[in-house]
Amino acid sequence: MAQDAIAVEELAYLYGDLVAVDHISFKVAEGEILGFLGPNGAGKTTTVKMLTGQLKPKGGKAQVLGMDVARNAGKVRGEIGVCFEQTNLYEQMSALENLHLFARLFGISSFDGQALLKRVGLAGREKDKVEGYSKGMKQRLMVARSLVNRPRILFLDEPTAGLDPASAEAIRAVILEERQRGATVFLTTHDMMEADKLSDRVAFMDKGKIVALDTPHNLKQQYGKRALKAKVQTPAGELQDREVVLDQPETPDLIQKLFAGEKVVTIHSEEATLEDIFIKITGRGLKE
Amino acid sequence: MNPRGIRALVSKDFTLFFRNRFFALVTSLALIVYVMLYFVMPGSVDETLEIGLYAPGWSPVAGDVQQQGLEIHVAESLEELEDGVADHDYVAGIVLAADLPDELVSGQKPRIDLYFASDTPEEAKEAVSSLIRELIYAQTGQPLVVDFSTQVLPGPDMAGKQIPPRDRMRPLFAVLLIVFETYGLATLITEEIEHRTIQALLVTPVSIKDLFAAKGFTGITLAFGQGALFMVLVGGLNQQPVIVILALLLAALLVTGIGFLIASLARDMMSVLAWGVLALVILVIPSMGTLFPGVITEWVKVIPSYYVVDTVDRVASYGSGWVDIWQNLLILLAFSVAFLLIGMVALRRRFQ
Repeated sequence: MAQDAIAVEELAYLYGDLVAVDHISFKVAEGEILGFLGPNGAGKTTTVKMLTGQLKPKGGKAQVLGMDVARNAGKVRGEIGVCFEQTNLYEQMSALENLHLFARLFGISSFDGQALLKRVGLAGREKDKVEGYSKGMKQRLMVARSLVNRPRILFLDEPTAGLDPASAEAIRAVILEERQRGATVFLTTHDMMEADKLSDRVAFMDKGKIVALDTPHNLKQQYGKRALKAKVQTPAGELQDREVVLDQPETPDLIQKLFAGEKVVTIHSEEATLEDIFIKITGRGLKE
Repeated sequence: MNPRGIRALVSKDFTLFFRNRFFALVTSLALIVYVMLYFVMPGSVDETLEIGLYAPGWSPVAGDVQQQGLEIHVAESLEELEDGVADHDYVAGIVLAADLPDELVSGQKPRIDLYFASDTPEEAKEAVSSLIRELIYAQTGQPLVVDFSTQVLPGPDMAGKQIPPRDRMRPLFAVLLIVFETYGLATLITEEIEHRTIQALLVTPVSIKDLFAAKGFTGITLAFGQGALFMVLVGGLNQQPVIVILALLLAALLVTGIGFLIASLARDMMSVLAWGVLALVILVIPSMGTLFPGVITEWVKVIPSYYVVDTVDRVASYGSGWVDIWQNLLILLAFSVAFLLIGMVALRRRFQ
């Protein structure tokens, strides 16, 4: 069994009287992609800040790669890469200069910035000042910067938010490549489709607590329903919707009846989204 | 501490400083302009002594006593004479009482009041004495037997230590160059906070201590470098260079602390500008004392830059040594360390 990359026990944080993170516990295995989902203010960013040594926990403990983050923040930071939601690059410097600066900060003497920029699709623009980059290019550079030290754990906060499809797809490809390399990915996102597509497991966070943690498949099995959606034509020529819930004892009979008794025009299967499940669990949407 | 990380941060800060067109322009332009101004200003003092005379009731023949380099102005009242001395219209003022000739003739020993500006040179005082002797001899035919009562108006007595105008400007220019870096350093730090790049730095092995070390080194180097370069170019290191360099270094430490403090107070670039200008105005005030001796009073000693200006001025212009200056340097060190510590504590809170 893979070793735990992250192990969190009863982790808590308060801003004054406001409980931001309320005694959460979870583990992330090495090489796993964990989707960390929740609405704004759920406590996701505070959790990431504690795991990356930016904030000291007010309760509980967090171990990253077997090290207590509060006691070994410096060592932990040497092994992780963090990509922030808001771009925070040195805009008066070129992409290559930005990467080389961070390579020096990580103490890396031989570093191939060109190759890394090529990986994120920025080849040919590496010597341009970042201030002239589009949002998508800046975000790709942010991802590249988080990979400078070949991190064992990659923390990505909304890495594709607001990007054009090509940039978003390029970043998703890099995330999967990193997983293949053996890196653990802690992916914070609002994008349910993205979390579903990339994550081995997803954690739902709400009001400082983790309300569900499992594989997308298991969550759908547990909280969602799969169905067949059909459009049928009545004898009067009208189009009407029909739905047959799958995975039920009576499902085969209902399907047979549908095709025998009505003129099926279109048919497709549909399964619950992570958003549906989140709403079912918390009673509110992810974007609220 | 992480020396490699600190080196990388310092190198980055210098790159960003000189890529900021405003700072690059102001830094190089200020240095060039101040050096040019220094060399354009008069390099020697005016040797003509202008002396005011108030002699009610008798008319000394000024023309008889005119000497080379000596000019006598007759004042209509004692107030006019005093104002003339205080305003540096005359280097000295002489009051000859109306009954002075009679007192001399009758063998009494009269008193003559002399007024001097704070920076009247010793030679001028001697010239005034000999002028009075000639005046009285020409008027009475008697040799002079008199008590002189000397009064310095206003400010400290700097007699015998008159220096050329451009050398008076030297401490002002050096302080201006150094103090401007409070603004430069505060801007670098505020940009780092505003653009959240500091967050990116703090998820690398770099610690807050490393950040302070890097910013401190950058601030001190920028401020000291400019001040020292200026002093080299204008010959300010010809006397006691070690003391001058130490004073500039402590001044750079001081402005670095003030830069930290401004960065911790400022919410955005506009407030950096506002706080920066305020600091600049306050820190430049003591320089006025070297430009206009007597204008500045004791309260100016509460401004830390006074000890930089006074040290640089006394050492570079008057050749003062360690014995005269050590107290200044000690006070400056105390101010610098205090501001640095306060600035670091305040900025650490801002970072967190």
